[in-house]
Order: sequence, then structure tokens, then C-alpha cells
Amino acid sequence: MGMFDEEFDAIVIGAGHNGMALAGYLARSGWSVAVLERRTEEGGGLCTEELTEPNFLHNLHSNYHSLVGLSPVYDDLELEANGVDYAHPDVQMGSIFSDGTAITVHRDMEKTHRSFARFSQKDADTWLRLWEEVGGYMDLLVRTLMYAPPIALNDLTRALASWGVEEKSEFLSARLRSMSVAEFLDKHFENDRIKAMLAFHAAVCAYQPHVKGLAVTLPVLLGKISNWQLCKGGSHRLAHTLMRVIVKHGGRVYPQVPVEEIVVEGGRAVGVRVPDGFVRAKKLVASSIDVNQTFETLLQPKHVPAKTLEGVAGVEYQDATLFNVHAALNGLPRYKAAEFDPDIDRAWILNVGFESLEDFRQEFDCVRSGRLPEVPRLNVAVNSLYDPTDAPAGKATGLIRVFAPHALVDGGAEAWDERGREYGERCVERWASVCANWDDDALMRRFAVETPFDISRKMINYRFGDWMVGRIHPSNLLEHRPTEELAQYRTPVEGLYLCGASQHPHGYITFAPGYNCLGVIAEDHGLDKWWEEI
Amino acid sequence: MDKSEFDVVIIGGGHNALTCAAYLARANVDVCILEGRHEWGGALYTAENTAPGFCHNIHANFMEFLHFMPFYADFDLPGLGARTIYPEAQAGIAFSDGRPPVIIYREDMIERTCQNFAVYSERDAETWRALKTKANEFAPMMFGNLYTPPAKFDLQKDGLPTVNNAPMTFKFFGLDEEMAYKSIRDCVDELFETDEIRALFYRVAVEFCGPPIEWPGTGGTFLFACLWMPGCWRMMVGGTHRLNGAMVTACLKEGVTMRESSRVERVILEAGRAVGVETVDGRRYTARQAVVSGIGLKDTFQDLVGEERLSDYYRRRVAHFKDGPDQVLGSVAMALREAPDYKSAARDPDINKAWYQVVGYDSAEEVLNYCRAGHIDRIPELPGAGVWVNSIWDPSQAPAGQHNLTGWYFFPRASCLSEAEWEEVKRSYNGRFLALYEKFAPNMTPSNVIADYLHTPLDQERGMRMREGDFGHGAMSPDQTGLMRPFAGASRYATEIEGLYLCGSCTFPGGGVTAAPGYNCFKILCEDFGYPEVWRSESRSY
Repeated sequence: MGMFDEEFDAIVIGAGHNGMALAGYLARSGWSVAVLERRTEEGGGLCTEELTEPNFLHNLHSNYHSLVGLSPVYDDLELEANGVDYAHPDVQMGSIFSDGTAITVHRDMEKTHRSFARFSQKDADTWLRLWEEVGGYMDLLVRTLMYAPPIALNDLTRALASWGVEEKSEFLSARLRSMSVAEFLDKHFENDRIKAMLAFHAAVCAYQPHVKGLAVTLPVLLGKISNWQLCKGGSHRLAHTLMRVIVKHGGRVYPQVPVEEIVVEGGRAVGVRVPDGFVRAKKLVASSIDVNQTFETLLQPKHVPAKTLEGVAGVEYQDATLFNVHAALNGLPRYKAAEFDPDIDRAWILNVGFESLEDFRQEFDCVRSGRLPEVPRLNVAVNSLYDPTDAPAGKATGLIRVFAPHALVDGGAEAWDERGREYGERCVERWASVCANWDDDALMRRFAVETPFDISRKMINYRFGDWMVGRIHPSNLLEHRPTEELAQYRTPVEGLYLCGASQHPHGYITFAPGYNCLGVIAEDHGLDKWWEEI
Repeated sequence: MDKSEFDVVIIGGGHNALTCAAYLARANVDVCILEGRHEWGGALYTAENTAPGFCHNIHANFMEFLHFMPFYADFDLPGLGARTIYPEAQAGIAFSDGRPPVIIYREDMIERTCQNFAVYSERDAETWRALKTKANEFAPMMFGNLYTPPAKFDLQKDGLPTVNNAPMTFKFFGLDEEMAYKSIRDCVDELFETDEIRALFYRVAVEFCGPPIEWPGTGGTFLFACLWMPGCWRMMVGGTHRLNGAMVTACLKEGVTMRESSRVERVILEAGRAVGVETVDGRRYTARQAVVSGIGLKDTFQDLVGEERLSDYYRRRVAHFKDGPDQVLGSVAMALREAPDYKSAARDPDINKAWYQVVGYDSAEEVLNYCRAGHIDRIPELPGAGVWVNSIWDPSQAPAGQHNLTGWYFFPRASCLSEAEWEEVKRSYNGRFLALYEKFAPNMTPSNVIADYLHTPLDQERGMRMREGDFGHGAMSPDQTGLMRPFAGASRYATEIEGLYLCGSCTFPGGGVTAAPGYNCFKILCEDFGYPEVWRSESRSY
């Protein structure tokens, strides 16, 4: 009665959301599938832990799910019927400024327009035009840019040109490919704070505002600004749901079974070696972890062409990762800026500290140099606003995130173990400074910090703490992600596929890498496509 | 839209509830199980709450029942990922002056235990040889009893039956029947002469979380907790939560509908019959046949049903059901650079590889005083503990070359201290333990500890809904075990409310990862609703 007496059609390495989604589709296609996970829990970044106190549910990584309803996986795998449940906050995000004013972004764009108009009528009107225009081609963009294998940037540009983009669109242009998010915002908007609000949204999605070329996908990002949703009961519930789908269709998820080697026979991946022995994969092995581990650690060098190894060695990771503070609160925070805009108290995701595009430049320059800013600039989310079950009755769970270097200039990554707590305190102070009820309600019960070094140790495929598993930069997107050779989900090792965040489009709860890999597998193996094709 | 009507709705997703659900589904019953927390498995709980990569079993750790547990075999849990390790040196105690350690080995290694005992006393070694041999013979009979519901009786007509098999059992062991009426400590002291050996037995006996070891009339527990249990302990590869992973997979395979983050707020009664439940988010789940509660007794009847719906008898017995003080624990967790290296290892290196290591006591008297403290509502002055370093056996539970220490303190009930006092314990007690630890294992210095964590009984109560921090969902003293669990009028899993059943640790045989309450409850449901008796197996009598 051993664990792996049987062999499987497919073995998926890593039980993150992409690997599990792929396994779900394959299992439902009638394949026998096993997902092998190194950690003690399935879910990868869908990780919810009671880090501070019992009953305070902290999402350690994935917190914002912005493709609910857009990603085909939710419907195809019937995730709702299998138990996932989302809240869709009516006040999506906001910014609190040092002069006591605030901006709020609502699901209702009329309200967003009114908030923007208090800062600039012109920008508010521009925003509405942008919103409406993007709405017109959002579906098309999502399908062609995300839920399909990567298209070469040159082809995209040519397609836009032949469509006559300059005449038909105010905001799209062939020139976006050489512009940064900041340049795009400067071109269309006049008010610093509105620009900061929109740049904040991009930055939270790992699109650094001053990186040249990232404006090319900005319309897709902006089109999702009202679709940020919260997985009730913690993001990990989505992982439970995926597991239910897999098992229901006959698949298996095995946490705490680290894959030690991808076994290759005659140039073909035929299974994996785990501590218990060999597990055979009759049709394929799909790796959802980073390419460095896949090619440098799990495959013997003799099975990997030198050119592939060279490409993998050159894959770049984000130069700004995250430092997290997880807070157990005695109640919901209220903000001084509510005097200006009462809705700020209900904004799910808050920008505290970025007031202009220049602030982003300074922040990322500072982070890239391995330093911590004197006054941290925060991204705050209090999930209990929209999911009271994530904390005991009357209490609240809070999250502060700040951009941070993985390695500190003095002491490297290891130095975080010494300095994390103190930096956490500074982040908490900054948050307290904009709250109206911090002291009166003794809001902070306890907090835990999670440093970039912690992240990289816990989630080892988040190399250097990079939760996008590969730099968000034109040199590492689309047909370049992770390398030209590996960008189409196939590998030089026959029977070995890549289905994780290292692949196009990138990390985040899009399921797109898994979905796109599925398309390639379906083609190679003649799978009958029962799912909705987009 | 999510489906909302089922034959049976189960409240709580601990291991007993999962057991009951899996068998029900296999019997073609349409069953839904609702868990209030975000995670399944209740006390099958493993958390990385010290540092990344260090897994700690904050609640259940010892897996002594697995190889008799019907669920384990019937649903091929090993094949679904529940793999075990069976450490050779099962339990040991080290001493601060480097005296030889006392070590109990596996049940199939009686001679090695005897060799160890003989260092102190030939007589004690001889006693162990005779009694452990008997204990191994006795085990199958004991399991038949655990995995069978208590016999039917009519409380109104016949009154409370007097059932005490303990004297007979002592006879089977070749011991005087009178010993059944003694305390655990009396039995240990009568049979073993060595103070060091007594110290280990005292601590092992409280580890089982039975009655206070000086409580007369509980001699039977001595046979179970001291003679049978040490020797059968398995550990779960990857942490206790992996057993949950396999159980959940088994449930899903059988078609159980599972919903986490779905805390039940009330049981819906219609004409006195339980017909469904409502969760805190306002969803209703209809139960066509039965509502089965796997959570605590008071939680079920006081919080979810409402005392006003109970008879006077039920109201009284529920209100006076005791949580603690017998099995209230604090859990210590430490992320270590090196595993503890005991002074006593110079005399016998096996102590460093004993799975369960008793630390902090130099005499039997010190263990006694420690155990007494919790029963008089105090934090023990001497901060000793029983610990296990699972990474010695299973390196996957800690980063390469490093170690995960987890252990238990015996603490007073959660309500004995204020929240601020527990905070102070959380802040200081691990530090005191470590200072003491260093005297027993010189490498246990602050610099060997990467991070630590203390889970208090108050955390236990809040997180797992184990009132007072009682690991067993109700004291396991003679007044609350056997037919008396949770009380005579509810001892066969059915309750006075038609359609409402109990399957949690508050029912027979009690706390611990036996899966017996869930299994036995399923048997009763088969009787009451005519479900196919899929529990029957040719390979066992129960």
C-alpha cells in the first residue's frame, strides 16, 4: 500500500494556482494526474495563515484577485459551485495625501469621476473617456494578450498599425511600446495626485511606473481597476477549491512531496524522482515552478542543451520585492482624510505616501540601491472591511505592503532577520499617522513582519522574493518570457512543459500561464477541448 | 448557485467529522460538511509559526491509533499521502547531571527497553518485559472496544449500568484486581522502584491527557497510558496535517460536499426536529435526514441549538460538562539550528534520537509537582516540557540541516488567567524553559533558537474552539468517560433532539486521533436510517 504504486498520465510539479488549474483541466479530460508539492500546504501564493493570533486570517501573498469573471478558468472549472466565494468591494482603492485630502476609486465609475473631479475636472473627464474606450476592447485585449500564447511585440505593433490605431483610439498607439507608465500618465493627465493614484494601481500589479515599454499593457491594467476582488475566508480557499475540482475528477494533490529530479529517458521526460522513489508520467511532466529550479536543479545537466541553460541563467527577477506587515487589529481603522472624503474609510486598498510620479521614481531608486526609505510609503489593505469572517467578531485583519529590496545594501538579504521588526514598526507608525482612531481604539493588538528574505525562504520559487517569478520588464515579457526558447510553454526536453508564473503573461491570479500551457498540451496530445475556447 | 440540500449536514471539519462524512458518502448518503475555520482537520494542525520552512504540530502529534483505525485502511489513507514513520526510541527522559537516560522503545523492541531499564534496576526491566508482553496481547481487544458504540441501555427503566472492565484487565495482566481502583501514580509506584523510571511514566501518563495521575479509581488508565501507548507512537511524514490532507482527499473521492470558512451559527429545528443549519454568512443548508455535530458539547447545545430548546436534564448535564483541567496544554515551538544534545547522551546516545523527549525534571517528585500545578489553576514554577524534534526523523519538516522542536506544557485552564496574564506567559515562559533546557542539553542556548512561539490554552480556545484549551473537548476523568461521555443520556451519539447526532471528541471514547467517535456515530446512523453498513470488513471484528 504505497503512495505511488500507480503511474499517472501527467505529473504537475508545484501546487500553485497555475499548476492546480492545469491539473484540473487535465483531470476533467479524463487523464490521471498527480500534483506534487514541496510545501506542507497546497496553493503556493494562495497562502492564508493565522500568523498573528488564532482566527486572524492573513493572506501572506496573493490578496487581490482582479480577473474574477475575466479568466475563463473560473467558469470552466466551476470554481464557484465548488466553494470559492468572492467579495467585490464597492470602494476599490484610495489614496490619502499629506494635506488631508483623498481620492477614491469605486466600482461605480461615476463616483470615481466625482472623486477625481475634486482634483481636476479635466482629468476626471479624461479618465471617463479612457475607461469607456478600454471597455470597448478590454475583452479582446485580455484574450489576445493574456489567454493565448505570447505574441511578438513587433506583431502586436503591426496589428495596431494596420487597424489604424492612431485614428481610432485616443489612448492606444504604436508608441506605447517605448513609453513608461509615467510617460503615458504625463501625456494624458495633468494632476499629480490622480497620476499617483493610477500609477499606484500599476505598481501594485508589479508594473514599475518608470520602466520604459510597460505602457504597452497599461490599458489592460486600467481596465481592471474596478475588478479587484477579495476571496472570502482567505485566498487559500481558492486553493481548497482547486483541490476539490482536481480530486472530484480523479486527480490527486500530494503536498510535502518534494520533486528531486525530473527523470529523462531517451531525451524524454518520463517521470520524477521523489523521496519515496520514482513516479512515472506516461504522457508528460508540467513544471509550474521557476525555470532555474526546473532546469538547473531538477534536470541533470546532460539532458539540457547548453543554450537553454545559458538562457535560464540569464533570467532576471524583480529588483523590488515586498515587505509585509500582517496586523491583528481591535477594530476597523478610520482615517483623518474621511473629513475630506468619507468613502476613504471603506477603500479596500490604500495608497499612503505616493503623491506624485516623482515619489515612485524616488521609491524605486531607493529600493534598487538596497536601501529602505526614511518614511515608508505604504499599500494598506484591510480585508475585514469586506469579509468580517477573516477576524474575530468586531476585530479586523490588516495588511501593509511596501516595496523593498531583497538584499539590503549593508548586510544583504540575511540582514532582514535583524532589521525586519524595526522596519515593521516604522510602517505601522506611518499607518497610525493617517488614522483618526489609532490611539482611542488601541487598534493594534499585534503584528508580524514578513521580510523579502522570509518570502524567498518560504516560497523558494519566488526567487529573490519575486512573487511575479520573473522581472516585469519588456526584456522579460511576451515572447521573451522567460527566454525566447521557452516562451511557448514547451521545452527542449520532450514531454516537459512549463505552466507557472515564469511564463507569459506573469505571476498573479490570472491562471493564464496554466491555461495557455493547457492549450499547447491539447494541441500536442490531441485533447478534445471541452472548455470554453477564447 | 451552490447546492444547499443534503441528506446529512455535518458541523465541523475535524478528523472525526471527516471520518463520519467519508463513510456516509461511501454509503451513498448525500453529505455536506461545514468547517468554520479556513483550514480542515481541526487539531490535525501543522503550522509554520516560528520561521519559514519549520513545521510545527501545534495540536495533535502522536499517531498511536492509525494502524487500528478503520478509516486509515478502508480508504487507503497512506496511498492518499498519509505516510508514517515509526521511531525506534519512542520516549525518553534526560537529566541535568548526565545520569543515564530512561528510554522506552517500540512495542516490538521490548528487550531494548529492558536493557535500558536494567541500567537502573533489573527488577524494573523484568516487570516491563512481563507487562509489555501482555499489553501487546491485549491491544486488539482494546481496539474492538474503542471502535464499537457503547452498549444500548434504557436510562429511565434500568438506571445507569455499572461497567468497569478494569479489574478484569488487571487480572489479564497478572496483577491484582484491586489495582483498578488505585491511581495511575499508585500503580507506577507499586510496580516500578526506580525514581528515574517513575518520572518518565508520570509524564507519559499525563501526555495521554487522562485523569490527574493521583486520582484514585483510574488504574485502568495506567495500563493504557503507561504500558500500551508508549511503543505504538507513529509520526506523520510532513506533519500531522498530512493526515488531514489524506482524509480530505478520501472525502472528496467519495463525493462529500466540503465547505470551509462556513461557521455554523445555529441548528434549525422544526417541530422539535433538526432539519438543517444556518452559517454566519446567512446561508442555509437543509438536512433531509440528520444534522451531525462534530464540535464541542456546549458549542452544539448552548450556542447552536439554544438551551431553551433542551429538556431540564439535558440543560443540566450540558452545563456541568467539564472542560479541563486534565488536558489543557500550551504548545511550545522552536526553530533550531541544532537538535538538542543532552548531557545524558554521553551515557546513551539514543536519548538524542528519542522521538518524545522529557526535559526539565530531575526526579519523579518534580514531575508530580509540575502536574499538580495545572490542577490548582497555576502555571508550573518549574518550566519543564515534553518535546519532540520531528526533523530528526523527517528532514522535510525543517530547512536543510535545521530542526523543528515542538512540545507541550501542562497549563491551567484558559479562564484561570486573564488575557494580559496569558500575554505575559507568551512573552516569558519559553525563555524560562530554554534557560532550564540548557542545563540538560548544553547546546540549547538562545543562539541555537532562530525563533520561537507559544500557543496558550487561550489561543487553543479561540482558534480551535476547544473550551478552556482542553485538547480533548472535555475532561477524560472517570465521570466523563465510557458510558458517561458526554453524559449517559447522550452516550450513543444520538441526542434527545430528533435528527441531531454527535460525532466529536466529547463522545465516546473521547479526545485523541482515534477517529472512533466519528466511526461509531456512523454505525449508529446506519442503525437509525438503514444506511448500508459499509464499515464492515472481513479483516476486523469491529
